[in-house]
Amino acid sequence: MAYLSIVALIPLAAVLFRSFENGADGFWNAVSSPEAVAALKLTLIASLIVVIVNGVFGTLIAWVLVRDEFPGRSVVNSLIDLPFALPTIVAGLTLLALYGPDSPVGINVAYTRVAVVMALLFVTLPFVVRAVQPVLLELDREMEQAAESLGAGRATVFRRIVLPNLTPAIIAGGGLAFARAIGEFGSLVLIAGNLPFKTQAASFFIFSQVESDNIVAAAAVSVVLLAAALVLLLIFGWLSKRALRHEE
Amino acid sequence: MSIVIDSVSKHFGDFTALDDVSLDVRDGSLTALLGPSGGGKSTLLRVIAGLETPDSGSVSIAGEDATEKPPQRRNVGFVFQHYAAFKHMTVAKNVAFGLTIRKRPGWRMLARTARSEVEEIEARVDELLKLVHLDGFAHRYPSQLSGGQRQRMALARALAVQPRVLLLDEPFGALDATVRKELRAWLRRLHDEVHVTTVFVTHDQEEAMEVAEQIVVLNNGKIEQVGSPQELYEQPANEFVMGFVGPISELSGRSIRPHDVDILLEPHDGAQEAMIDRVLHLGFEVRVELTLGDGEKTWVQTTKGQADELELTEGEIVWLRPNGARVPA
Amino acid sequence: MRSKYLLRFLALGYLALLLGIPVALVFWNAFQDGIGAAWAAVTTPEAQHAFYLTFVMVIVAVPLNTIFGVLAALAIVRQRFRGRALLNALVDLPFAVSPVVVGLALLLVYGRRDGWLGQWFADQGVQIIFSTPGMILATMFVSLPFVVRETIPVLREIGTEQEQAAATLGAGPFQTFFRVTLPAIRWGVAYGVVLTTARALGEFGAVSVVSGKLSGQTETATLYVENRFQRFDETGAYAAAVVLALLALVTLLAMNVIKPKEAQA
Repeated sequence: MAYLSIVALIPLAAVLFRSFENGADGFWNAVSSPEAVAALKLTLIASLIVVIVNGVFGTLIAWVLVRDEFPGRSVVNSLIDLPFALPTIVAGLTLLALYGPDSPVGINVAYTRVAVVMALLFVTLPFVVRAVQPVLLELDREMEQAAESLGAGRATVFRRIVLPNLTPAIIAGGGLAFARAIGEFGSLVLIAGNLPFKTQAASFFIFSQVESDNIVAAAAVSVVLLAAALVLLLIFGWLSKRALRHEE
Repeated sequence: MSIVIDSVSKHFGDFTALDDVSLDVRDGSLTALLGPSGGGKSTLLRVIAGLETPDSGSVSIAGEDATEKPPQRRNVGFVFQHYAAFKHMTVAKNVAFGLTIRKRPGWRMLARTARSEVEEIEARVDELLKLVHLDGFAHRYPSQLSGGQRQRMALARALAVQPRVLLLDEPFGALDATVRKELRAWLRRLHDEVHVTTVFVTHDQEEAMEVAEQIVVLNNGKIEQVGSPQELYEQPANEFVMGFVGPISELSGRSIRPHDVDILLEPHDGAQEAMIDRVLHLGFEVRVELTLGDGEKTWVQTTKGQADELELTEGEIVWLRPNGARVPA
Repeated sequence: MRSKYLLRFLALGYLALLLGIPVALVFWNAFQDGIGAAWAAVTTPEAQHAFYLTFVMVIVAVPLNTIFGVLAALAIVRQRFRGRALLNALVDLPFAVSPVVVGLALLLVYGRRDGWLGQWFADQGVQIIFSTPGMILATMFVSLPFVVRETIPVLREIGTEQEQAAATLGAGPFQTFFRVTLPAIRWGVAYGVVLTTARALGEFGAVSVVSGKLSGQTETATLYVENRFQRFDETGAYAAAVVLALLALVTLLAMNVIKPKEAQA
């Protein structure tokens, strides 16, 4: 507990404390400045898009990895974790290689909002896949066969039988992805840059404020980001539990 | 080494697992704790081992008060229902565990054990594995053993430290029927060989009757009766014990063993009229289901010889009479 | 069965566009000017120092977080005390905190000018922020939860029976821990250690805030990649990135070696 305090808790308390250094007004002024609002808005909207896209594709990938057979499946399976293992700065550089100014296919999204979304898609890719995979593995195939024997087509089986069983995992994975996305920094540095009102995500806004010694503004936006992450984790946890209630 | 339990109580939250239980277990005896699940038998065993601390009362082992002693210092052997095999150790290492840690107490943990001690332990492990018929399995891992073999390994591990008492929690509960039968007979023989005071928990009356010299019936945290298998069967202290240790049937509103009823073809004093619904031939045993005059259903257990002699047929009217008066007081 | 191939195509296509091709291109770019140039780029004194510093981060943060992680997991799973649920929740906190916020938070406690304790440390002659200790703290912060998270489920799964068996056989708490519990959870702990290492190697944001980015002094490998790139030394950036990517691949390999064992135990 002491270790946890020294490394994590006291510093986080300091952020909270300093954000109110100039009172509630100071806090409000800091987070309602046009630049801060733009950064927070970009972060939240991009994260939402990313969670939805990776929710769909993550489920799809998990499905293909569990139910499909093709050569190299186990290699693909282990590559899924690459975004976790790869340093974020390298992740950014990686995307820049294909979608940057020197793109061999002529697609250049560098320093645009698309780049923000792409970088976030990259780093949050494993969350939903890894949450859904074990559930899909455990899923009772007889349930689907029973539905088929009752005359349900394959789309119906998926929608009515498989999907409801996967929902809690998708939501849980999505929640983790969201928390990760709104705080992301490293992967955005090289590909999205730090253009205020354009590609400046909330974490960059904080970083810039620290660099320019505006500690209160940095702390205030940090608190908003922290609160958002915690609230989102709570909401996603609650949704996931709600979706699981039939198993109680 | 006798075990004396003196008015032990144990609660888990609102649940009373043991309610003022007192019991003497004779030195060298083989005792079964029998009862339905939730009756308190496993809790009592764990209190003896020191794995649970009683809320009140005391436990003494071999004349020494053990109530406050941690399990490490009680010198009891405990065999868990699911064996609690150390999965990362070979069978030999599992069995040697208790001996090894005695040779290398805490502060010497990292020191090497002397050669002579290693040999001593190896010899003892060999001896134990022979005793439980696992010689040749010394270098296997628990995952490579069958359930019955794992159970015997757990037993050897518990016996290795020469415990003062041996405690077994549902020792055969997780095994299939044939293995269970074999192990029962084997445990009985083992006890004759080793003669360590042994207490085991079971919910299976047949198992208790077959293996134990003394049976303790526990229900709702209380001891219902203590006695030999025969005493329990023939002189049950109450309805619960009677029902738990053998089949019962009802006649004139009283519980009775179904084989303690005679079937008569003629009316008789004290006999009740009944109509035969079904005759089930189960080999040597024949089970007769009947409806009494007042509409109550009952059943009687008889032998193939008797049933053939009486030529019982479905729909026939007969008279039922208790033959011996082994009815609870 | 056409839909099967369509699904497979979609899934693999998405992975290729997002993951496979870009990663392959990093390797391609790094060796664009030949292997010699790439080798020269990662053996400059600055590059060597950056990798050395990253190594220091790992060697300090990983063991500390492993010890803390195993102890915290034991406390959360095996003990009943007030605040157990709170500890359980707090341990995950670093996952929900942006790396930049982590950096800022450390700055506000240990920074010389802005921090609560910074001045006191400075008086003792210890500089934390813009120096190695601060960077180590940042690395510890972000990689804190992994060992705890990976250890808790295996600890739950092995249950307490083996530990009780050891106790009835005469083993004290330390003997039980080192001879029974630790060997039983070792794959879970190892998996946590691998994840911790990966995160410690790759941390950028938090370290970036507290490092001061003095080239050759407080620059880790990840900061070095950024630095090279911003200075239009693409070969240098890509070459260092490839080294980090290779380390990531080793990590992946380790994860895959450990995972099946865990499942089989």
